[in-house]
Amino acid sequence: MKQNKDTGKVWIFGDYRNYFQNRVTLQLVGKGRELAEGLDTHVTVLLLGDQVHQYAMEYVAHGAQEVMVAEHPDLKDYQVETYTALVARWVRAFKPEIFLAGATSFGREFFPRLAKRLQTGLSADCVALDIEQETGLLLQTSPAFGGELLADVVTPDRRPQMATVHPGVFKELPHNPEAVGRILYPEVDPIPVERTRTLRSRRQQSRNANLEEAAVVIAGGMGVGSSDRFKLLFELAELLEGEVGATRPAIRAGWVEEERLLGQTGKSIKPRLLITIGTSGALQYTAGIQGAETIIAINRDPDAPVFKMADLGLVADARVLLPLILEALRKRL
Amino acid sequence: MHIVVCIKQVPDVPNIRIDRERMTVIREGVESIINPMDQVALEAALDLRGKTGGRVSVITMGPPQSEEALLEALAFGADEAVLITDPAFAGADTLATSHVLARAISRLRPKPQVVLCGMKTIDSDTGHVGPQIAEELDFPQVCGVNEIHIEEDALVVKRLADGFMDTIRVTLPALVSVASGAYPVRHIPLGALERAFSHEDVVRWGSQDLALDAGEVGLRGSATRVVRLWPPPPRKKGELLTGSPQDLAARFLEKLEALSLLDEEDETE
Repeated sequence: MKQNKDTGKVWIFGDYRNYFQNRVTLQLVGKGRELAEGLDTHVTVLLLGDQVHQYAMEYVAHGAQEVMVAEHPDLKDYQVETYTALVARWVRAFKPEIFLAGATSFGREFFPRLAKRLQTGLSADCVALDIEQETGLLLQTSPAFGGELLADVVTPDRRPQMATVHPGVFKELPHNPEAVGRILYPEVDPIPVERTRTLRSRRQQSRNANLEEAAVVIAGGMGVGSSDRFKLLFELAELLEGEVGATRPAIRAGWVEEERLLGQTGKSIKPRLLITIGTSGALQYTAGIQGAETIIAINRDPDAPVFKMADLGLVADARVLLPLILEALRKRL
Repeated sequence: MHIVVCIKQVPDVPNIRIDRERMTVIREGVESIINPMDQVALEAALDLRGKTGGRVSVITMGPPQSEEALLEALAFGADEAVLITDPAFAGADTLATSHVLARAISRLRPKPQVVLCGMKTIDSDTGHVGPQIAEELDFPQVCGVNEIHIEEDALVVKRLADGFMDTIRVTLPALVSVASGAYPVRHIPLGALERAFSHEDVVRWGSQDLALDAGEVGLRGSATRVVRLWPPPPRKKGELLTGSPQDLAARFLEKLEALSLLDEEDETE
């Protein structure tokens, strides 16, 4: 097909669910521009949905040179099977070299299925992407063992080279309302029958926000001291609009519910700020907090391993320090 | 109802070592455990069996010693265990792994109605294998569910995804990956563990049993190559402060201010 020739070879999946809190698609457009320049091509964003034109304009303003849009009332919900069927056909027709998606809940559910249908490789939750000089292959750096190791992965022969990317790793380009991009509306194939149906979808209040997506997390361990004192963590979280997490021993003590467990057997978090209180820093716990941008640790023991990870370590008894912090914070806010 | 749980035996992360020549992780000599999130999936399966009756099969692909993980799962209450093992399977990425597992699941009888997985493994951290099995089996899938309710020919599940609480109806057969912490993991009595380990009833399948060619499994059947494994750069050395609690509280606030966590609050006041 002649028209395929000038379609971008670096594709980004346009994930606009939770658009205002999750900028990963814009970050990928920024990174995609850089990768595309090295490969002498341009960036194309794929956008599926109902009435999604506004997002197409946003992607162009943030650097997308091309947006391919599928608009259909049946595309209103994010549905893995439908998206896989439509996008796989486009990939086969237009043959991108690289295809990236944010490692959002949807990206992590949709991309493995799509890669399988296309019988190509996929790496997960990448924290770096580069073009390898000698080969021109996409070098995908993916964390393993809870971030203890990084693996550089390539997809030598099959195409496209697919990766999901950790939110917050790359920078979005500034919004430029003057930017010009092509918006294409390829034919939308019949929508297949979905075997999954969303009965209800409720946006969660920030108070109950997913720990995994929270910008501020307050985590507590045994050093917090007691069930009553653990409630102070919730007060701190409220003041900082954060979420509360805990180590296994604190949960076993019954101070907080299991769903707040962080670490190897619990959740992995990537907040802008983690305040970790009375946690010694056992690996079972730290495996889940590697992604935190900044860590403040409070612990009585100056030799606690958690201080090795902390940007700011405060050697103090949390039982004394925490009430003082809350008092000072309330005065300040 | 026949429920299948995919589990993986993983090394206990603190003790891993790396084979730098072959670029793989050495699992021998390191304590192995059932992947913690697969434990949660197993609990979900047992819970489901409690409601509907039927049987729970656990299945794993791995080296011969992965049998331990299956025996442990039997001790937890699984009815049947299948070990898929063959030297040819070594070095598989998620594409090749899901191919072998899907083939094995499709040969189980009675035909599985529900396949459950953990969200991801603690060693390779991808979470790909579940959806890729679903694709090959042509099952619908839902990932990261916190609650599973059974209807006649469907599951109704709840899951938190991208800031939304979704309630989803998925027709059977289906694959569901279970969120960590969704079902509490019990402790097994030592007696049950001993009894399970005295059993010899783990089914073993290799490439031939599953009619798989060498080219479609293991490293040869994989689309990706790991070219390098490396430890991430250590975090920048931070500040460690001692002093009076009042002083430390003040330094704490300074840090919040430096991160501009306090400014936004001012604007809203």
